[in-house]
Amino acid sequence: MTVISRGWDRLTLSGKVIFTLVPLLLALTVGLVAAIAVLGGPLLDVLAANLPIVRFAVAATAILLMTIPTAFLIIYMEMKVIAQMNLRIGPDRVGPFGSLLSVVHGLKVLMKEDFTPTGADSTVFTWAPVVVYLASVMTLLVIPFAPGLYGQDLNIGLLYFFAMAGLGVVGLLMGGWSSYNKYSLLGGLRAAAQVVSYEIPLTLSVVGLILLAGTMSLNQIVLNQAGWFTDWYVFQQPLGALIFFIAATAEANRTPFDLTEADSEIVAGFATEYSGMRFGFFFFAEYVNVFIMSALTVTLFFGGWNAPFAWPFETGLTIDPGSLGIGLILLIAIVPVILTLAFAAPFWIASSRIKGWQALIIGFVLTNLFIVGLLGAWAYVELDWVAGILWFMLKTYVFVFTFVWMRGTLPRVRIDQLMDFAWKWLLPAALLNLFVTAGAIVVLNAIDRVPT
Amino acid sequence: MTTPTDRSDAPRHEAPHASQDDPRVMLDRDLGVFEPVPPYPPRTEREAEFYTLRDGEMFINMGPQHPSTHGVLRVVLKLDGEKVVDLDPVLGYLHRGVEKLCENADYHHVISQVDPLEYVSSLFTEWAPVMAFEQLLDVQVPRRAEYIRVLSGELNRISSHALFLGWMALDLGGLTPILWSFIERDEIVEMLASLTGQRMLFNYFRIGGVNGDLNHDFMSRLGDWMSRATEQIDSGMGLLNENEIFVRRMRGLGTIDTKAALRMCFSGPNLRATGVPFDVRRAHPYSIYPELDFDIPTRTEGDCLARYLLRMDELKQSLRIIDQCLHQMPDGPIMAKMPRLLRPRPGRAYAAVEGPRGQYATYAMSDGTHQPFRMRIHDPSFVHLQAVGLMMPGHLIADTLAVMASLDPIMGGIDK
Repeated sequence: MTVISRGWDRLTLSGKVIFTLVPLLLALTVGLVAAIAVLGGPLLDVLAANLPIVRFAVAATAILLMTIPTAFLIIYMEMKVIAQMNLRIGPDRVGPFGSLLSVVHGLKVLMKEDFTPTGADSTVFTWAPVVVYLASVMTLLVIPFAPGLYGQDLNIGLLYFFAMAGLGVVGLLMGGWSSYNKYSLLGGLRAAAQVVSYEIPLTLSVVGLILLAGTMSLNQIVLNQAGWFTDWYVFQQPLGALIFFIAATAEANRTPFDLTEADSEIVAGFATEYSGMRFGFFFFAEYVNVFIMSALTVTLFFGGWNAPFAWPFETGLTIDPGSLGIGLILLIAIVPVILTLAFAAPFWIASSRIKGWQALIIGFVLTNLFIVGLLGAWAYVELDWVAGILWFMLKTYVFVFTFVWMRGTLPRVRIDQLMDFAWKWLLPAALLNLFVTAGAIVVLNAIDRVPT
Repeated sequence: MTTPTDRSDAPRHEAPHASQDDPRVMLDRDLGVFEPVPPYPPRTEREAEFYTLRDGEMFINMGPQHPSTHGVLRVVLKLDGEKVVDLDPVLGYLHRGVEKLCENADYHHVISQVDPLEYVSSLFTEWAPVMAFEQLLDVQVPRRAEYIRVLSGELNRISSHALFLGWMALDLGGLTPILWSFIERDEIVEMLASLTGQRMLFNYFRIGGVNGDLNHDFMSRLGDWMSRATEQIDSGMGLLNENEIFVRRMRGLGTIDTKAALRMCFSGPNLRATGVPFDVRRAHPYSIYPELDFDIPTRTEGDCLARYLLRMDELKQSLRIIDQCLHQMPDGPIMAKMPRLLRPRPGRAYAAVEGPRGQYATYAMSDGTHQPFRMRIHDPSFVHLQAVGLMMPGHLIADTLAVMASLDPIMGGIDK
């Protein structure tokens, strides 16, 4: 009991709020499910009548909750991958292969003292991390994770994305300005200059793609790329994809463009004076941004949730369980037993050291794995959102890995080189890409090959 | 380092002469604890000029707790936006009064007192006073001891340069090279530990020889490392040498020409990077260096990239020297016959060695007692750091630490 009360006393205000809100939300969820179960019809009718609102609420909550494991995973990935590149071992104490270390980091920032420096504008100082975090989280609303699995299918999804990505810089500037620290100020101003500059090539690089796709809805863009991987837009817009990825790196403030928090120059940039969970929000937002930028690169140029190949066979698995009648019960009762015995038999026969009950346990475990695998395969084939989310995450984490790889390899560019690169190289290249694409569409339309 | 220096190379800002009671010198508001402005009126003209702000300028304190000033150095930067207008290194955070400590120590104790001065290349800080005392005492060091000194010294040079290469990249934001170069450093440091007994502050040289003979552990580690050193260094540094971002940032950064470098008393790699083939090992030969075959690499650009690449070339020359030492190592004693209590005849002696950072020198005076009457230490890092004020103005804040790192100062030696 004393342990709990001492731990509670050590928590900062934000920690107390979070530790109170999370159980409360869980209780509310359970209560809601119970209410639906008891009241049934009438409540469901009310919810169904307000479907857009319910959908938005659920999507926003789901995305907010999704950012936490995503950030943990990417932080762990970064620690481990960079450690391997540095010829170190990396985290290996908490959890298997140290995989829970980022969770412990998360708890740590909740426990740390959360102070506001003397002379800081405390209101702005407090709200800056919130703005940064929410701006990055809200961009996730329009990203289609799988067929039908997206927050909102806005017809101006891409525009919304750029608007929200641009909002994040306001938070960085707020944090930098309100900290009453010159390093923070430099970091905040660098962030503003950098993000505003790179937003232009970032936006221009996808205009060619918008011309090709004829839509700004991310969902529709993904649907356009269905089929084999040759249908992905990266093959029609290679330059655009390259510019987009480079500009996205700068937009997410990642190495080699991480000037806003260049630790060897301006200590920690805008986050210098932040501690505790307020720093945690900045930290989270950075890694969520990495995920978002990877996800958007995949969505726009690498086919989104589409598999790189079209499934070549007809896969209608139309078994109506009800038609099996008593056979279903026999199936459920008998097949696992038979499978367990079948998997156990070879072990029991092959080695005299394995006793019968040990072989049965092995058989049981293998049966379970087999059935899970079978169900997974069935889900992949039959439920298109399972296949979609699998491919989407796979492709996204390839790009997350690329971000981490760059961080481990490259030094940082200088601020004037950064600006030169944006305005003298990326912007003309993006314009060239746009003109070539537009010209190609006009020419092809003239000879009536590509209807747009 | 607020003494006025001849700054004809740096852009000169027209500053109104500020006297003690000039209201512009002190800011019109109360100074916070974080303000870099000193709490006293300016003592020199240079200080008055430096601590006068013009429109759009601001001071920023870099250090002493900044993550990448090497050691506890505080640099007051005068910024115009991101551009460094002027800077003022503030020294003394590591001051121990080593020269005075040495005057109160036995001649033998001096070696352990000077050890932590340049804590990444301690053997050279031992070497210079030991040579000076040997001149005072008129001792002939056995040849085997000289060979061991050169061998261990060159190993220490490689470990120091390896650390420099990693630091250089770390100050430019590269995370990986420092850990790669620490592989070299760690192997060398471990083998020196088996030779001398310590990893960092070796306390190995003695007046008249060295403390211990080569042992099996050291030789097996050395042979093991030598067999793969060249490839290991090349592969590790390929990460930086072929990196476009790194080269673009380093080229033309912190340039200093030969004249200014000579006027600022540069030595070592920093001077050789401006095209002067000055190396104490060849210019004022000592120990067995005249018998060894090695080149003095030079470069003419005088910028950070030249200083970086020059140290890369020096690594190869050091490997050559080690190879020759191992082949020519004579047999014999490792210590001259010495009395236990040293009382040199009254006189003065000066000895200089070529350390990894440049000319490391000691000037010692004896009055016939068992303690040095006066002992002065010349440290190359100090003069190199002085020149940052010449190189830096006009560059950006991001390059401050890169320029400083390329000069490779060690604060222990600077603050003494």
